[in-house]
Amino acid sequence: MEVLWAATGELTAREVQESLADRELATTTVLTVLGRLERKQLVVRTRDGRAHHYRPTASREDHVAELMNDALDGAPDRGAALARFLGSIPSEERRKLRDLLD
Amino acid sequence: MALAALGLLVLGVVLAEPASRGFSKARWTRRDPVGALLVWQAIGLAGGLSLVGCGVVYGLSPLGDSLPAAVGTLVREWNEGRWPARFDAVHLIAALASVGVGARLLWVLGTMYVRTLRARRRHRDLLDVLATPWPDSPGTRVLDHPQPVAYCLPGRSSRLVVSAGVLEALEPEEVWAVLAHERSHLRERHDLVVLPFVAWGATAPFVRGMECAQVAVAELIEMRADDVAACKSEPHELVGALKTVGGSAPAAALSSFTDALEARIERISSHPRPLPWAARIGVRVCAVALVAVPTVLLLL
Repeated sequence: MEVLWAATGELTAREVQESLADRELATTTVLTVLGRLERKQLVVRTRDGRAHHYRPTASREDHVAELMNDALDGAPDRGAALARFLGSIPSEERRKLRDLLD
Repeated sequence: MALAALGLLVLGVVLAEPASRGFSKARWTRRDPVGALLVWQAIGLAGGLSLVGCGVVYGLSPLGDSLPAAVGTLVREWNEGRWPARFDAVHLIAALASVGVGARLLWVLGTMYVRTLRARRRHRDLLDVLATPWPDSPGTRVLDHPQPVAYCLPGRSSRLVVSAGVLEALEPEEVWAVLAHERSHLRERHDLVVLPFVAWGATAPFVRGMECAQVAVAELIEMRADDVAACKSEPHELVGALKTVGGSAPAAALSSFTDALEARIERISSHPRPLPWAARIGVRVCAVALVAVPTVLLLL
């Protein structure tokens, strides 16, 4: 994933493998990991002839921002997907919070 | 049976509105959060049984002296290819409406749970790629962000997360207190304690008592987690952590948020005397009785 984030554009599985050459990974291992990342919607795959190109769906910063949004939006009605140290915030107050953040 | 139906209806309405509203204002709950949470679960369960049950009991009342007998009559006559003559439109509609409300509640609960699981899985996938394991505490992950947040992702494959901002702002002992708080949420599955009330709130958002219940239960699980954390570390460390993390949260601009935070800090510092054991047992007996009353009314 780091390799894909560091790259400016798309990479093929072979290019990923070459960037990680010091770890001596097998091609199948790289493909398995890329397939897993694709299933988790962290990378998208495009086909160009015989080669498959992979690129991240969003930057690292965007993903961190998404996580922080989940963690800070103390919504109890989102099914208590996570439990915060600071507890949850009642719904009408949350609207005010959104206004403040925007 | 019609009398039992009336009893169930009255009980259900009382539990859903005045009782929930009144209980959410009770002060003794901060001295026994676990007992109070048990009573809330009993109120939720008994209220649901009563409101769903009253229509069914009324609807089937012409068919027998008790619900099991009436269902038996209905099944017998149905198998013989007859429609029970005494089962008229009014009673049929009452029974169907109740079953509908019950199905709706279960449906909301189910879809909400599935949606929660999906949101959690997404969050967990991202975490596993983005957050680095923290060597000082196994099972804890650090998210590289300056804003201090600490939270946990409940479930079978749970995660404990602190941001780099937390490690930056807090003393190590304070971080331990935060982690103890979050671990207690995970261990006691507080997410499941909250879920029924979230479902009730989503099914009947127009009932004010439901909202009161949701807020009260959310406060009680925090009290419970604070109690566990205060046992495992020094209370002043927990207070320090709450002040630092709470003061820098974006929600610190909201009065209700700071009020709730101050109430928690005040509670940990003053450490209210736990209820005497007799009262604690009494609370638990009340919780069991609350569920027993509608069950008996349904079956007799």
